[in-house]
Amino acid sequence: MCSITKENVFDAISTVIDPEVGFNLVEMGLIYDAIIDENCNVHVVMTLSTQGCPLHQMITTWVKEAVERIEDVGEVDVEVVWEPAWNISMAHDNVKQALGGM
Amino acid sequence: MKAISSDFAPPLKLISPFFSSGVVFYLLSMLALLFFEPSFSYEQMNVAGWVHLFLLGFVMMIIFGAMAQLIPVVLEAGHAVVDVYYVIFPLLLIGASLMVFGFWLMPGILPYGGVLVLVAMIIFAVENIATLKKTTIRTLTIETVAWSNGYLLLGILTGFAIALGLSGNLDINISLMLKAHVYAVLGGYVVLTIIGLSLILIPMFSLAHGFEERAIQRAFKLVISGVGVVFAGALFSQEWLMYIGYAINTIGVLFYIWQIYIIAKLTVRKELDIWAKSMIFAFGTLIFSILLGLIYFLSGKESILHASVWFLLLGFISSMITGHLYKIVPFLVWFERFAPLVGKEKVPMLHEMYSKEGASMMFNFTVAGVVLGGVGLLFESNILFKAGASFLFAGAIFLFIGMRKMLAYGK
Repeated sequence: MCSITKENVFDAISTVIDPEVGFNLVEMGLIYDAIIDENCNVHVVMTLSTQGCPLHQMITTWVKEAVERIEDVGEVDVEVVWEPAWNISMAHDNVKQALGGM
Repeated sequence: MKAISSDFAPPLKLISPFFSSGVVFYLLSMLALLFFEPSFSYEQMNVAGWVHLFLLGFVMMIIFGAMAQLIPVVLEAGHAVVDVYYVIFPLLLIGASLMVFGFWLMPGILPYGGVLVLVAMIIFAVENIATLKKTTIRTLTIETVAWSNGYLLLGILTGFAIALGLSGNLDINISLMLKAHVYAVLGGYVVLTIIGLSLILIPMFSLAHGFEERAIQRAFKLVISGVGVVFAGALFSQEWLMYIGYAINTIGVLFYIWQIYIIAKLTVRKELDIWAKSMIFAFGTLIFSILLGLIYFLSGKESILHASVWFLLLGFISSMITGHLYKIVPFLVWFERFAPLVGKEKVPMLHEMYSKEGASMMFNFTVAGVVLGGVGLLFESNILFKAGASFLFAGAIFLFIGMRKMLAYGK
């Protein structure tokens, strides 16, 4: 039985900061889901704020590395999806406020 | 959509010479303005020299550097042969310099500069076309890249014909060829490229999503066909055809402005940083330039045309470029020097990599310079024009210092 929770995974990913906007990926609302199986393998489902993001590959690597730092974690893979498309309503309130969207 | 590999990103040492020397050419262009009078003709050699210093040295140099970085982002494919940019840079640098000296001092060296620029641009266009062939994606932006490269080649060929004509080696109608050249390069390449790239970059930096793209699709089609019509009209001496082309282009650019308005309404980031302020100023001056252009067609007064072109070049095109430099250059430097350190140590945010005060000074001086210089041209006032040129030069110094600091950050 795996003791890693979805919350642990989101906490680990919250150390990854988007250098352009200065917020972490979790508070930006870019992390859609984290599926953890019984062997502690983690499948992260996420999106990016823009499809042409030049940091695409790098951000997914950072997410993978951040999750791999969780103790006893198994295989980690990151899937980038474009549906549903990201929009500001998915971000946390502090992000909306700081960007001027509230 | 496939992942964009970081392997596609060209190294900073390949791109940074384009940006640093482009800014030096901008500084020289603004310095040179101090020696001009507000009344002139476009066929004067010293005016042609300044236009090439600005358009080839600054605008083209920066666009080429930006395209080295952005083509893989737009096409989702790596460059066919990215190393050709190491060859393009010295050819463009020396070619543009020779052409400016040719126009100003020695017309005899114009063809030599022209050949170097021609070779640089042919390499650039061929590499772009080879890269285009690597991707199966066919978005409107990609089609625009293809069209703009075609117009670039036409523009360079007509420019080379003018250089041969001026040095007495070719018997052509220089005035007509000049119109075809200006339209192919400025409308066909520079404006189309700026429209295409801004459709990618403006929503990316403003975090605008879910907008309709019908207006920009119309804009692309109208500008592409309008430039072709003007080019054909100039080439075959059919002035009526050129007027139809001007009208098509104007409608196309109005659709583009409408698209930007749609994007602006959906913008998430409301902070007015140097990029946002530059975009507002760029589009404000573009609208003003179109208005002046329409007044010129009704009045025929040459000074109004000069002011219209001034606001287009130094207001719209310059601000689009300089505003984006404060986004693109920190990103490139960050990508090269700090991205490998993410997760290992604290890395800077992109906006921390340039001085906000320096950027504000650049912007304020430039705005004052563009407005004063434009009014000076409009009313043919030497003092206002010189005041505008002085402010622009001061703004260019701040841009130059800002660029050096951004490129040196974290070295």
